Amino acid sequence: MSLLALNDVNVTTEAGGRPVDVLRDVSLAIGRGELVGVVGESGAGKSMVGRLIAGMLPRGFAASRGSVTFRDRDLLAMAPRERTGLLGDAIAFVPQHPMTSLNPVLSLGAQFDEHLRRLGQEGKAARRERAVAALDSVHLPRPADLLTRFPHQLSGGQCQRALIAMAFAGKPDLIIADEPTTALDVITQARVMELIDELQRDSETGLLFITHDLRLAAQHCQRIAVMYAGEIVETGPAAALLGDPLHPYTRSLVAANPGIGGPVRRLTALPDHMPGLSGFADLPGCRFAPRCPVRDEACAAARTALTEVAPGRFVRGAGACREAASAAAGQGDLPDAEIAAAAPILSVSGLGKTFRSGRDWLGRRRAPVVAVDGVSLDIAPGEFVGLVGESGSGKSTVARLLLGLETPDDGRIVVDGQDITGPFQRTAKQRIALIQMIFQDPQSALNPRQRIGRLVTQSMEVRRPPARWPERLERARDLLGQTGLPQDTIGRYPVQVSGGQRQRVNIARALCTAPKVLVADEIVSGLDVSVQAQILNLLLDMRAQRRISMLFISHDLSVVRYLCSRVAIMNRGRIVEQGPTEEVFRTPQHDYTKALLAAVP
Amino acid sequence: MSAAAVAGENPLRRALRSGRVVVGGSILLILLFCAVAAPLIAPYDPNEQDLLNALKGPFWSDNAEPGFWLGTDNLGRDTLSRLIYGTRVALFVAVCAAVGTMLFGTMLALLAGYFGGVVDWIISRAVDLWMSFPPVVLSLILIVGFGVGIGNVILAIILVDWTRFCRVVRSEVLVIRRQNYVDAARLSGFSHLRTMVREVLPAAAPLIITLMSLEMGIAVIVEAILSFVGMSVEASIPAWGVMIADARNYMYQSAWGLVLPILAIVTTVLAFNLLGDGLRRTFDARLQQH
Amino acid sequence: MSGEILGIVLRRIAVAIPLMLLVSILVFIVLRLIPADPVAMSMPPNATNEDIEALRREMGLHLPVMHQYAIWLGHILEGDLGRSIAFGQPVFKLIGQSLPATIELAAFGALFATAIGLPGGILLFRLRGRPSEQAVDVGSTLMMSIPEFLWALFLILVFGVAFNLLPFAGRLPPDMTIPKVTGFLLLDCLLTGDFTAFLEAIRHMLLPALALALGTVPLIMRLLRSSLLDVIGEDYVTMARLRGVPERRVVNRHALRNALLPTLSLMGVQFGFLFGGTLLVEVIYSYPGLGNLMVEAVRNTDLPIIQGAALVFALAVLTINLAVDVVYIVVNPKLRRAR
Repeated sequence: MSLLALNDVNVTTEAGGRPVDVLRDVSLAIGRGELVGVVGESGAGKSMVGRLIAGMLPRGFAASRGSVTFRDRDLLAMAPRERTGLLGDAIAFVPQHPMTSLNPVLSLGAQFDEHLRRLGQEGKAARRERAVAALDSVHLPRPADLLTRFPHQLSGGQCQRALIAMAFAGKPDLIIADEPTTALDVITQARVMELIDELQRDSETGLLFITHDLRLAAQHCQRIAVMYAGEIVETGPAAALLGDPLHPYTRSLVAANPGIGGPVRRLTALPDHMPGLSGFADLPGCRFAPRCPVRDEACAAARTALTEVAPGRFVRGAGACREAASAAAGQGDLPDAEIAAAAPILSVSGLGKTFRSGRDWLGRRRAPVVAVDGVSLDIAPGEFVGLVGESGSGKSTVARLLLGLETPDDGRIVVDGQDITGPFQRTAKQRIALIQMIFQDPQSALNPRQRIGRLVTQSMEVRRPPARWPERLERARDLLGQTGLPQDTIGRYPVQVSGGQRQRVNIARALCTAPKVLVADEIVSGLDVSVQAQILNLLLDMRAQRRISMLFISHDLSVVRYLCSRVAIMNRGRIVEQGPTEEVFRTPQHDYTKALLAAVP
Repeated sequence: MSAAAVAGENPLRRALRSGRVVVGGSILLILLFCAVAAPLIAPYDPNEQDLLNALKGPFWSDNAEPGFWLGTDNLGRDTLSRLIYGTRVALFVAVCAAVGTMLFGTMLALLAGYFGGVVDWIISRAVDLWMSFPPVVLSLILIVGFGVGIGNVILAIILVDWTRFCRVVRSEVLVIRRQNYVDAARLSGFSHLRTMVREVLPAAAPLIITLMSLEMGIAVIVEAILSFVGMSVEASIPAWGVMIADARNYMYQSAWGLVLPILAIVTTVLAFNLLGDGLRRTFDARLQQH
Repeated sequence: MSGEILGIVLRRIAVAIPLMLLVSILVFIVLRLIPADPVAMSMPPNATNEDIEALRREMGLHLPVMHQYAIWLGHILEGDLGRSIAFGQPVFKLIGQSLPATIELAAFGALFATAIGLPGGILLFRLRGRPSEQAVDVGSTLMMSIPEFLWALFLILVFGVAFNLLPFAGRLPPDMTIPKVTGFLLLDCLLTGDFTAFLEAIRHMLLPALALALGTVPLIMRLLRSSLLDVIGEDYVTMARLRGVPERRVVNRHALRNALLPTLSLMGVQFGFLFGGTLLVEVIYSYPGLGNLMVEAVRNTDLPIIQGAALVFALAVLTINLAVDVVYIVVNPKLRRAR
């Protein structure tokens, strides 16, 4: 008998006046001591599973069908008081955002004390002892000292370790970890996952691991359930599922993931994006049908069920889906980048920037921060160079320096033979024509009050002589075409298009002045895998057609490997290693590079 | 509600769906009519004395005098006429002072929030300096310095209340400034001025409009306070604060003489506050959709 | 830790000193603009030109402005704020006599404001999503539209005139006197052991203090409510719930503590304003405090008193802000340095 079992659960809400099943026919089981992954893109409903088990569905959401049995009792039929009693004690949680999940005005000790007292531990001294032991078990140094600290005095990794310690402190039967490492840097992420593995192995605790990262789940879980649009489309043993995906969606998920080893192949990207909540109502049949490469007319109306195809492997949909899918899956080769041996188009030497002085709210002088220290970098025409580093490594400052949004203290920036090192005002004219930036978050980078047609041709507004509207319109159409956007988006506002389309708009704007060099700062990190693959392929096509050069800033090694022929690894403001991507990845020289590569799932 | 409907919709129409905006706006329209048409609708000259009919109550009270709907004051002046003429001073001061504080405060806030650094430091310290005076005290000192008169009252309110605008708008501008689209505009070749006007200002506009509505209410109160202590307009101009000050000495004989101008002030301020509150909610809802 | 707080307090005071200097310059400059001639006003109508000139010299009005300011400032630092033109007494003494009454009144006003505002804010928050929320909301907008001086008049009309429940003139009944020890009436009553007078003094203070408080209450209520609404959506609140912490404790221990921080900052600013609000409230309640003194001086164009009172008001605001900042720093661990 499983520890926890969801049996044909529907969670329903109302959208646009119609009832919508946010979760549909969800069945899932976790045994004692088992680690089960739930994988899906944002909006697939995977977090809703966690909230359902916790009994904390958002207002207006309710379970309308099925049962959730935990230790042989139906949670949905349980009195709210009793259900709350289980939380923290029998069912514990590890949150997504460790830094904000601890109360900022209470010391770590106070929060541990509250938790242990609730678990029934008598005596302040005894609770303290248990707290110290718990922090020790997650390998936090000097635990007694840590208890006097406040959350803002800890790093993200430390916070997450403390929260994990809290979750395991009551020896719960079940732990639900919702994206526990997403907010952390790659190396910390790997260590925290190791810790979870270790603690879980030593206990009888069942663990539900919710993530968007199929590879990460496959690495740590025994079984995986893949979700799409509120349904589980496939479940099975982790290795089998990753090695031989059966459902067309799982296949495309695997195919859209660049990976860190093996030959580099062109990614197959699904068209379009997962429908939003209100879109579910229009999909009475197979919810994946509109994007499915092997759909037929019947799919849109046919409700599909999970069927067992091999022991422990369940797949949603008819047999035809699986056979047709395997036939359709073929990956093309990547067009090789043709890199001219000519003089570099962008040449950066000895770039340095220190953020000085500044006082905090209380008038205390802040320590100067060396953000960028002696960075040198060349990019050839038509070359994509990756700049890899964790948050705070200074990689975004490099981008701002290149664009002139900050003025460097040292060094020179030369684009196409022209020195553009000086302050923005003086070099604006050359910069605008030569080098442009694609910002990370299109939500923030696109003024929500302007229509897309105007946004993408923004730079024509200040041209001398000023561009006339028909001319701008024509250019906007051209740019939308180049970036694969439908022509009717020209008159829309950014909120009216999907996240992936917004990122295309963002790219289109950067292309407007036909620059020689693009600087892209983490432009795919906010996107789901299938949309990410679309954007990556778009960038490759742009390189093939326009021989544009790009500095591609990212923390994601597999994406950099897919896109860039050369890579520079940045740590604490310095470039610690650079060279051809394959070479660096195969034989890393610097310890930091080795640690980074080892941390990739 | 779909995002598409929100972004394309006329903000004015959306605002008009808010009950607060409608109620506040309607009251203000009535008051505006009273101010403009005062000579036509007021039954008497506001300064016309009728000492035989002094301190009469309004029509529902025992000592009412036919013809004087809302009674008379200690000099026998018609309360209704004085209330109607009083809207002139109140609204004129409200509008002028609010526009003035908005222009002055927003300009400094834009400069401080957009450029940061030394500019921000200087402007922020000036705000600190101003804020170390309670507003009532500062406006009183300024009026002592400038002398009485409606122009000076407006000037004093602007010089006192620009900080309110400046502080709030500055922190909004700081938030907007961190949006990448402001950087993107610079990278498209926009000058600082154009960036401020085209990218920053429209984003702050909802807040500015809301603040202006609230500021009008505050200006009405400050003017009333100044006229109450006899430091606002010339004695011949009827103002609500003056009516309160006059009626205070006779409140045992005629409480209504005190209550009515108080109600006039509260109603006006309430109307501005409802309007501001309603607008804020309208704009907030818009922003939540993004 | 305490050393750090002391350092911050000292730094704050160091910032306040130049601010106070600027304040004095501002006061001086504004009141130099005055159209009336203070010399002519303080002389009998039959004074000769020589007399006037002599007084001008005595008051230093023939010197350059900067020089005059320096002299004026020098006197202030020695505790000499000049002599009142109307009363002929030293301004320092007049302010010293009236300030305790104002401090007492403002302190009670702030106390009432806190005692009504904070529970009110929590109540508003608890009503979220209920039908009654709208009504309470409109009610708070209405309250926001009534400034303290209208509250003052309104309370007199209701509790003084209509029901005759509470006195509304002065600090004590006219037939009662208390020997002056500290100037703080309540304290003096207790020191002299006169409890009848103590109760009377409280009765006299109720209405004006309440009027002051009511002007501030809706702001505190609304801010606390919106801070609570912000905080209740934070991850650490969700996490506390997921640890099984009961809802009551989630609100009182986890949410409220965080939501109080912005409310506290606002209260610092508002209590400064509240201190300024005493001005009119004192006039309306014939309360012999600093505000009454200043308004009287404004009517008489009694320049030395206006200047002195303005400086004291500014000093009071800065002191209140400083005090609130210190409390804020003590209760907010986020401002402690990372170790």
